[in-house]
Amino acid sequence: MVPVYNEEQNIVPLFEAIHETISALDLRYEVLLVDDGSTDSTFQNAADLARRYPEVRAIRFRRNYGQTAAMAAGIDLAKGEVLVTMDGDLQNDPADIPRFLEEIENGNDIVVGWRYDRKDKLISRKVPSRIANWLIGKVTGLPIRDNGCSLKAFRANVIKQIPLYSEMHRFIPAMASLAGPRLTEIKVNHHARQFGESKYGLSRVYKVLLDLLTIKTIVGFAARPSTWFILIAVPALVLSMLMLTGSFYDVIVLDRSFSTPVAGVGVLFGALGLFLVMAGMFAELVYKTGDNRVEKLSMLTARSLYSGEVSYLDESEKKRV
Amino acid sequence: MTRQPELSVIIPVGQRSDDLEKLHSSYSRSLDACGLSYEVVYVLDGALDAAIAQLSVLRDAGQRIKVIQLSKRFGEAAALMAGVSHSVGSKILTLPAYFQIEAPEIERVLDASRAADMVVARRWPRRGTVFERMRRACFHGLLRMVTGEKFRDLGCSVRAFDRSVIDDINLYGDQHRLLPVLAAKQGFRIVEIDVSQAQEDRFLGRYRAREYLHRILDMLTVFFLVRFTKKPLRFFGMIGSTIFAVGAAVFVVLIVQRLVFDQALADRPALLLSSLLVVLGVQLFALGLLGELIIFTHARDLKEYRIAEIVEAESDSTEDMKSAGRTPLASSFQ
Repeated sequence: MVPVYNEEQNIVPLFEAIHETISALDLRYEVLLVDDGSTDSTFQNAADLARRYPEVRAIRFRRNYGQTAAMAAGIDLAKGEVLVTMDGDLQNDPADIPRFLEEIENGNDIVVGWRYDRKDKLISRKVPSRIANWLIGKVTGLPIRDNGCSLKAFRANVIKQIPLYSEMHRFIPAMASLAGPRLTEIKVNHHARQFGESKYGLSRVYKVLLDLLTIKTIVGFAARPSTWFILIAVPALVLSMLMLTGSFYDVIVLDRSFSTPVAGVGVLFGALGLFLVMAGMFAELVYKTGDNRVEKLSMLTARSLYSGEVSYLDESEKKRV
Repeated sequence: MTRQPELSVIIPVGQRSDDLEKLHSSYSRSLDACGLSYEVVYVLDGALDAAIAQLSVLRDAGQRIKVIQLSKRFGEAAALMAGVSHSVGSKILTLPAYFQIEAPEIERVLDASRAADMVVARRWPRRGTVFERMRRACFHGLLRMVTGEKFRDLGCSVRAFDRSVIDDINLYGDQHRLLPVLAAKQGFRIVEIDVSQAQEDRFLGRYRAREYLHRILDMLTVFFLVRFTKKPLRFFGMIGSTIFAVGAAVFVVLIVQRLVFDQALADRPALLLSSLLVVLGVQLFALGLLGELIIFTHARDLKEYRIAEIVEAESDSTEDMKSAGRTPLASSFQ
């Protein structure tokens, strides 16, 4: 499964490489080329491949929806039991795919690539990515050294249930951690870009930070939404109590004049606490009426201890996928 | 009526409607000229006795029209959606229930719609007072600023589009005017063509202040829907954290003044201001997280992408398979 965007020169060599590696493996496979509204002839090339090779499907978006959407489309449409995602820019090496498949065979649900020897510019690419990876690792608690690497393998029935939206493609493993997958990381080769322009910039730090916060909240509290809100309500309420008691203590015991600002601030923070508690209740309501539940996800990765059998959702769930 | 019509003409009838008999005959004359099989659906937005009377005259005269009546006044967007669900054509043409464009122009609109997903008519050249012109320019300029889409006559309800366009967009409230904007944001190709304005097209009523307010609110809704529906925390979080930061900064200044310059803290109004800002910031942030939770729990329904086409090898294209199916790849691409 390859999301591509304006990669007209890369697409054919990429497919050749994939084909070479996988046909040696004696597997039935398909290649999904998801064209995210490219403006060059990427889709023509992909469609040519698709017409010539029964293994290839080329999917074209109506416009540019972003990499997450391309990933989501690929995941929705893929038919295989194992999904491998990779970049369309030839920076990943398809020769690594067999090792990913091996790790899935070994019982992992998600295998993440680690470009231990990156061929990119140091300042603009490597350093920010180091910091981002460190931060993401700290926040999500997943020991992944390279979140930006697109070469990943997933067990299909796990990843198909994980909601992907907005710009979550950087955080697929983090989102997937909702389901508690068995996750491992392996080293992969990384090549310098041969053709075409790189499409990433540095300017997304703020967005990434907010997304990270979102994921942290959802992963940590989605199953008990009111907890998060009540946790931030507690300091506000404590502060409010302190200030209110303080100002009344002043008046009653110390017989000073009533301090309006202090009491006012106390009332304000009290209101904030109340608001947050109410928001927590509201969150429970939202969660209850929604259909993405964390409990369901837990079943995806549950397995019988002795036979090693993998569990699936029940039949009706399968159909929905 | 065994064959399905190719084109569904939907005419929402609201408060403003001209003589429907005259209108229908002029519409059907130009529709006949287009050579497409079509059906005409009138949707009455509430109990409109005059319109019902005119339509039953048409029906008695043997015109094959479908008339749907909404039980009460729901608005034009609802009428349009009702019309869509009660029609079958793969292409949809919406027309106003009053003279807005010269009827023969319909053919040009339909012609243009072959090359695009949606055609929006623009009345040009256009009559109107200077004030009206300014008002229009204001509205469309603002719209362009907010949504980044350039349309010049959203008041004209003559639009031709594929059914797939409306399937992807759920119109509600007052959004019928903004349908082209929403469609453009979904990635449909939209073309605006100039059509000549009808002689009779003149709105005699006055626009009240409420109307203006509604238009502006519509625009805000679309702005929010288009930009932030899938990432509420970015919207609320951005505003919330800014407010929070201002509040916290003021607070820090106060603390410094208290500690270093020994100014009393307790009776300064700025203390109230800073804590108000902090409180507001946290609240907005909490709203953003609530939004994220809503999106997360409904993410399965929110398909973010629209697929234009899927190409795969067809089993019946035998010659392709023979020539290319299993040949070694390296050679076939050189």
